[in-house]
Amino acid sequence: MALLELKNLSVNYGAIQAVQGLNLEINSGEVVTLIGANGAGKSTTLRAISRLLKVREGSIIFDGREITGLAPDAVVRMGIAQSPEGRQVLARQSVLDNLELGAYVRKDRAGITNDISRMFQLFPRLEERKQQSAGTLSGGEQQMLAIARAMMSRPKLLMLDEPSLGLAPLIIREIFSIIRNLNAEGTTILLVEQNAKLAMQHSHRTYVLEAGQITFTGSSQELLSDDRVLHAYLGG
Amino acid sequence: MTDFLQNNGFLLVTMVQQALLAMSLYYPLMCGQLSLASPGFYALGGYVAAIIGTIEYFAPWRDSLGWVIFPLEWLAAGIISGFLAVLVGIPALRLRGIYLALATIAFVEILRVVCLNLEITGGAIGIFGVPQLFESRWSYIWTFGPLLMLMLFFSYRLDRSRVGRAFKAIREDELAADAMGINPTRYKVLAFVIGAVLAGVVGAMSAPFLNTWNARQGTFDASIAYLAYVLIGGSRSMWGPLLGGMMLSALPEILRPLKDSRLIINGFVLVFASIYMPKGIAGAVGNLKNFTTRILGIGRSEK
Ligand SMILES: Nc1ncnc2c1ncn2[C@@H]1O[C@H](COP(=O)(O)OP(=O)(O)OP(=O)(O)O)[C@@H](O)[C@H]1O
Ligand SMILES: [Mg+2]
Repeated sequence: MALLELKNLSVNYGAIQAVQGLNLEINSGEVVTLIGANGAGKSTTLRAISRLLKVREGSIIFDGREITGLAPDAVVRMGIAQSPEGRQVLARQSVLDNLELGAYVRKDRAGITNDISRMFQLFPRLEERKQQSAGTLSGGEQQMLAIARAMMSRPKLLMLDEPSLGLAPLIIREIFSIIRNLNAEGTTILLVEQNAKLAMQHSHRTYVLEAGQITFTGSSQELLSDDRVLHAYLGG
Repeated sequence: MTDFLQNNGFLLVTMVQQALLAMSLYYPLMCGQLSLASPGFYALGGYVAAIIGTIEYFAPWRDSLGWVIFPLEWLAAGIISGFLAVLVGIPALRLRGIYLALATIAFVEILRVVCLNLEITGGAIGIFGVPQLFESRWSYIWTFGPLLMLMLFFSYRLDRSRVGRAFKAIREDELAADAMGINPTRYKVLAFVIGAVLAGVVGAMSAPFLNTWNARQGTFDASIAYLAYVLIGGSRSMWGPLLGGMMLSALPEILRPLKDSRLIINGFVLVFASIYMPKGIAGAVGNLKNFTTRILGIGRSEK
C-alpha cells in the first residue's frame, strides 16, 4: 500500500487553477522526484499535502487515512514534514531554536535532545554554529538547517521544495548525498527540483508536472533516457 | 521620604499602572499582532470592580468579606476580560496588521458606547464613590507594584518557554510556523487573552485608586497612548513597554513647570525617539550594551 496517495487533486488560487486532477503515489521507502517548469504547480502540490492550502477537489490519503480535511499541525503529527521553498528558516532565532521548533509537535524531551545530536552528526557545520542566529548562516547552511528542522518532527514522509536553489555545485552534491542517507535510514522522500537531472539520478521514480497536470511518470532511470523528457527538462 | 511619597505618590503609581497597560500590548506583539484593545478591557475591568464595590446586590458580600473583596474583584475582572477576549479574538485575529489594529479600535469604541448607555455602568455620568482599598494614593503601589513584579517574572518565563518560542516563530513567519505544526490561530488568541486579562485586572485595581469610573477610561486616545509607549519603549522585549510606559506617562508631569511649551517638547521627544531609536529605548539601551561590550570589553559574557 502506498504511503501517500493523491487522487484527482485540484487546487485553486481564486480563479487560477494551479493544480488540476493530479494523481500521484509514493511508496514507503521511496525517493520520488516531482519536476516541472516554473509555475507548473509543484510548490502548490506540496502546500496542499501539508494542508496549508484548501483542496478544491480530490483527496489526499496518507498512511491509509484521509487527511484532506485535517489542519497543518495534525498532518505534521501524523508524520509529514516539509522544508519549504526558499528555505524559510527563522532568521532571528538561533540554529538550536530552529531545531527545537521543528520538533514542536513532539513532547518527548529525551527523544528531541537525542535527535538534535543526531542532526548535528549529520550536519557538523550546524553544530559549530548552534548558538548563531539562523539568518547569519550561508545559503547552504540555511538549507541544511531547513532539512534538519523538518527531520526534527520524525517524519515518515519528508518533502523538500527545491533544496538546491541558489547553491554552488559542491554544496548541492553534499545536500543530495545527505538526502540519500536520510532515505537509506528509512525516510520516504518527495523531492521537488529544478535541477532535474541530479534529482532524477537520486530518486527511484519521477513525475513530470506541466501546467498543473502530470504529463509523464515512470522510473527515473527510464525517464532519464526518454527523448521528450530529455528535451524539455534535461537540456539534452 | 514620606513627604516625597505624599507629593509624588500619585505619579509614581500612575507610572507603574501605565507600564502595566503598555505590557498588555506586548503579549499580542510577541506573536506579531498589533492589538489596541487594551483600553476596552481596562475599562471593562474597572467597571467590574466599581460595580462590585458599589451596587446594593453585593453589599452583604462587602460587609462580610472586608478587604478580601478587592482581590475577588481583580479575579472577576480577569475572568470576564479573558472570556470576552476569546469571543472577540477568534474572529478579530483573522485580520492582520493595520486591519487588526482598526478592528480592535472599533471594539474599544463599541464597548465605550455600550457603557455610556447602560444603567448598570452609570451611563454618561459613570460610577462615583468606588470604595478605596487604602487611605492614601501612594499606598496603591502595594497593588500595582507586585502585579508588575509578577508580570515581569511571567514574561521572563514565557520568553523562554515552549509557548514563547511559538509566539516568536509566528511573529517571524506565520506560514513557516504553520508548516512546522504550530497552530497560529490558537497562539494568537492565547496572546490576545493574556493581554486582555492583564488590562482587565489593571482596570479593576484602578477603579478604587481613582475612586470613580466612567466611559472616558477606555477611549481611542488611550489606545494611541499605549501604542506610543510600545513604539517608544520598544517591543522586542518586556523592558520596552515597561520603560516606554513609565517614561511617557511621567513626561507631561516632569515638564509641567514649562507650562504651555511642554506639549511641544513632549511631541518633540516622541518624534526624536522614533527617528533615532527605531527599536525603542530598550533597543537603544541594548545597542549601547553591545557597543560597550565590543569596543570597551565591559560586561562581556563568557561563551
Ligand atoms: N499565493 C498565490 N496566489 C495566486 N497564485 C499563486 C499563488 N502561488 C502560486 N500561484 C500560481 O499558481 C501556479 C503554480 O505555482 P507554484 O508555486 O506551485 O509553481 P512551482 O511549480 O512551484 O514553480 P517554481 O518552480 O517557480 O517554484 C502559478 O501559476 C502561480 O502563479
Ligand atoms: Mg515552487
